[in-house]
Amino acid sequence: MLRVNNVRKVFESARGTYIALDGVTLTISDGEFVCLLGPSGCGKSTLLNILAGFDQATGGTATFDDRPITRASRERMMFFQDAGSALLPWLSAEENIRFALRVRRIPKAQWPAIIDRFLRMVGLDMHRAKFPAELSGGMRQRLQIARGLAVEPQMLLMDEPFAALDALTRRRMHTVLLDIWQRIGKTIVFVTHDIAEAITLADRIAVMSVGPRSVITRLIDIDLPRPRDLTDLKVAQLFNEIEGLLAAPDETLTDQRMEMPR
Amino acid sequence: MVTARDGRTTIAEASTQLPLRPLRPSISFVPYRTVLLSTASLLIAFCIWQLLSTVLFNPFLIPPPLKVFRTAIPMLESGEIFADVSISMIRVLVGFITGSLVGVLMGALLGRIRLLHDLLDPIIELLRYLSPTAMIPIAVIWFGIGEMSKYFLIFWGTFFIVLINTTAGVWRAPIARQRAAECLGANRLQIFVLVVVPSAVPYIVTGMRVAMASSFMSIIPAEILAADSGIGYLLQKSSMLLQTDRIFVALLTICVLGFIVDRIFRLLVDRVLARYMSFVSQT
Repeated sequence: MLRVNNVRKVFESARGTYIALDGVTLTISDGEFVCLLGPSGCGKSTLLNILAGFDQATGGTATFDDRPITRASRERMMFFQDAGSALLPWLSAEENIRFALRVRRIPKAQWPAIIDRFLRMVGLDMHRAKFPAELSGGMRQRLQIARGLAVEPQMLLMDEPFAALDALTRRRMHTVLLDIWQRIGKTIVFVTHDIAEAITLADRIAVMSVGPRSVITRLIDIDLPRPRDLTDLKVAQLFNEIEGLLAAPDETLTDQRMEMPR
Repeated sequence: MVTARDGRTTIAEASTQLPLRPLRPSISFVPYRTVLLSTASLLIAFCIWQLLSTVLFNPFLIPPPLKVFRTAIPMLESGEIFADVSISMIRVLVGFITGSLVGVLMGALLGRIRLLHDLLDPIIELLRYLSPTAMIPIAVIWFGIGEMSKYFLIFWGTFFIVLINTTAGVWRAPIARQRAAECLGANRLQIFVLVVVPSAVPYIVTGMRVAMASSFMSIIPAEILAADSGIGYLLQKSSMLLQTDRIFVALLTICVLGFIVDRIFRLLVDRVLARYMSFVSQT
């Protein structure tokens, strides 16, 4: 269980003070697939970095299984948009996973089975000897996912992992990710600015307002069966509703912000 | 897509970093055309040289190519030139290798430890303007005209270049790569040794190549001013005796030597460090 309570994040710089998050509250249960949705600059990556433990909240609390998040942990695996820089380019696909198992101190005897399992899970077992530079963008992202899953985290934090992929590959990655999620049942917090992507994937969407002083303006439960067809009437209605929310005029956002506890 | 409400660009998420991506030097494939053009380039240069020395200027001031080759043959046969070359090469290598080692070690620490960087950076920024040539007079007083002064001068030149490049490379190791390793369970030392330093290899190699070229440039004045052997000394001695043909032999030797050493360096990098030199494009 992940709990974010009234989190505030203030960045101090030479140019002045920037309040990125101002009272974000969110609870995510185990096994849930939650999308943080909002336009660029709404602080969703900031929030994700706090959840990962890379960054500390200025105010409020973030806890994982009732323990405060103070630093990065193997329980919460972050996946980055640019898989090319997240992976080790001097190691082959297989060696990248081996690196993870090594720093995780998993007994060597188990390595071959784990490597096989996760490379197969993302469909890269035929490409295990290739270096990241020899893989396509989608394959590289799948390798990052395989490497992250190989160390068995409790929770997957994904920062716009498919945003740089072409539409076709992205759709295929959605299928792959949902399939993996249904098989392993881990919690996923997925940051995106793409409404269609959020609707395709999530159990619940947390819509965030534009920064500064971002908050979660709305939590939307999606009870529709997967795979979800974007031309389906209910899905289309949901899409329009969220689009309307994101395009909301200033007044609405200000009103809601006033209601947030400080 | 909704952007900032009042048209301002929002800054919070604009901090994704784009690492520099130098091209991997490729020497394995030299096309036929390149060979042809290189040969032509050299031939043209020889023709112009011949013209300059016979038509435009005094052949004593600019000895024609054939005369230079005729001078070179006995120097090659007697082994005289090889003795000078090997003496200079050993000086360059000793200074270069020690300078690179210390430069990489210190650069890695400076790139990683902020306090150390802030403390030492001002001194480095000042000292690096002291070229090896500027250090010759004091080096002679400190170390005499023996080998040590030459080692020191080459070390001096190499150290700063490699140091600054290594620091930059370590500094620029992708944050995502370090954070991903942290999530996987790597401790700080593992992140430094297994992630950050290997990420800096292309920068280190670039620094070392520049430093190698600079070493070749610094060994000559060092030997001219403070040595009794080496290519620089050969230049100096020939100049005193007004042997322009021998000067040209020495100059050509420097050109060929620098070229060969750089090729060997690149070949070694290609063989040993190839996997660290490849860069993944931004998806």
